[in-house]
Amino acid sequence: MADFSSGVIVDDDLDFSAAQGRSKTREAAGAKTAAWGGRGLNIAIGVSAVVVVAGLVLWAMQLSGGMVQTGMRNLNSWGLYITSFMFFVGLSAGGLIISSVPKAFGIAGFGGISKVAVMSSIACTVAAIGMVVVDLGQPMRLWELFAYSNLGSPLMWDILVLGTYLILSCVYLWAQVRAEAGKMSHTALRVISVVALVCAVLVHSVTAWIFGLQQGREMWHTALLAPWFVSSALVCGTALVICVAVALRAAGYLKWERANLVKLAKLLGAFVMVDLYFFGCDLLTEGFPAGSGLEVVAMLTTGPLAPYFWVEVIGCAVCAVICFTPALRTNGLLVVGSLLAIVGIFCKRVQLLVGGFQLPNLDYAGPLTSMQHTAWDSGLSGIYGGMVYWPTPLEFGVTLGVVALGFLIFFLGLKFLPLRPVEEASPSK
Amino acid sequence: MRYGFVIDQQRCIGCHTCAVECRFANSVPEGTWWNRVLTEDGVFCDTCEGDINEVSLSYVTVACQHCENPACTKVCPVGATYKDPETGIVCQDYDKCIGCRMCVAACPYTGVRSFNWEEPKYTVGFPTGDADAAPHQKHVVEKCIMCRQRVAKGEEPACVRVCPARARFWGDLDDPESEVSQLLKKRSSRQLLAEEGTNPNVHFLV
Repeated sequence: MADFSSGVIVDDDLDFSAAQGRSKTREAAGAKTAAWGGRGLNIAIGVSAVVVVAGLVLWAMQLSGGMVQTGMRNLNSWGLYITSFMFFVGLSAGGLIISSVPKAFGIAGFGGISKVAVMSSIACTVAAIGMVVVDLGQPMRLWELFAYSNLGSPLMWDILVLGTYLILSCVYLWAQVRAEAGKMSHTALRVISVVALVCAVLVHSVTAWIFGLQQGREMWHTALLAPWFVSSALVCGTALVICVAVALRAAGYLKWERANLVKLAKLLGAFVMVDLYFFGCDLLTEGFPAGSGLEVVAMLTTGPLAPYFWVEVIGCAVCAVICFTPALRTNGLLVVGSLLAIVGIFCKRVQLLVGGFQLPNLDYAGPLTSMQHTAWDSGLSGIYGGMVYWPTPLEFGVTLGVVALGFLIFFLGLKFLPLRPVEEASPSK
Repeated sequence: MRYGFVIDQQRCIGCHTCAVECRFANSVPEGTWWNRVLTEDGVFCDTCEGDINEVSLSYVTVACQHCENPACTKVCPVGATYKDPETGIVCQDYDKCIGCRMCVAACPYTGVRSFNWEEPKYTVGFPTGDADAAPHQKHVVEKCIMCRQRVAKGEEPACVRVCPARARFWGDLDDPESEVSQLLKKRSSRQLLAEEGTNPNVHFLV
């Protein structure tokens, strides 16, 4: 702990006035930085690559043998892939927003983690896109999205915004490296950060609209969904940045002031409170008229989705307590709190996805087949009595493969890109 | 032109003939029903509600509602499901569908849209019904298309032709002289989930 109590805030966000003069040393330092990574990182890259390949094999199995091997059917037509898609879009937020807000508004940042944070955003965005691709029945027809685009479809909006977001994140990372090398003006970097920030907010809103604009699903159809997706994204994104920064500091990749960790923790606490507040507003609005919305509240609090609801609420509350109590803000507890927040937001994604299918609009008895639900032979009560969806091992495997792809990209970034804070890598000031 | 169905719930005997003929005429894959006969009152198929003094039993046949304001066509990213401007039929283009299942999530009528989760199998081992019905494909969404191959030839949909109780009617809802329009004028009717604002072109006489 003593190493980090020097009180000097290393800030890579602003003040490039002296950058020109130092650019030579910085380039040399950059070359040194790029070569970081010992045996551990190589092993991590190798393991991720192997898991990615295993995921690809499982995906090929899913496509050849049919999606009948998944837990999805007509009555629960989306599953773990779309849950994870929502989750990773959310996770990608943190890095980009943590990094771009200080630059966009010209305020003090969070220390030398800016570039690493954006790298985590890029990795999460790639994973999110991967989740949509493995969910498609006909991935070979992806080109049609650009040939026959129905620009009225929220899914089309999402594809456009997500693609832009990925490209922008890469451009933004590149711009930061250039600016540090003194080859890009401060104004240009600031403009890019504003655009990136707007795009980040859009990406979460549009993802929310895939669900929120559908009048047929009681649980999804609420105007609150878009701002709520932004707040949830900020929660798990900030939590991810805390975990990554603490881990990289422990691994000796970067030095990071404790003051910055505390700043991030307070921010995380605030985001968690906003997210819980939104949840409270939504539950009250759904439940108060005691109409069909009451079914949603019952499903979440006492019904099949109760475990996910309570893990989210309690996990986020504990996280907020850790973030707001100075005595509890130790490295270990902050990581625990962040992980609780990340798990909590994943549980929220599960509630949203499964909750959309858990309450059928037409629940009359009729012919049931294995194409409508995996538990078709136990009747409507068997289908809707418990959780309407549970993934198969194949789905877990493919999902793991896509997650590994995100890790692979992040590790490769650590190994080959100059992501370390430049000030720390070049002590010769 | 706005083709639609009028279904007389007072006449429907819940025999499933329309549902079976639909599968036969369109060679619908194993495990998939485009049109289903649901029991409205009891908890299980063909069970009633009430006690010995007053029991009720009625059936509702549910297939694509061919809505005037469809939720599905709006969300399809590639326009694989679309409303035919000439007939009002909500169509499905198997060659275009990317299998994202956005339309399944959007449709408020639970279970109307089906996805071919595996390579389509014929129930009797070989294709049946209309030779000009579009062949089924793996990993795409399908649903009732109002037998558009028959409608194009001036014939009525298969389910209407075979109904033994003569409970199903089909025609142009825009034409005030058509049988369906006349029935709607004379009898009281309802639409399924009218509160969703989709304005179905399937009406139930009650």
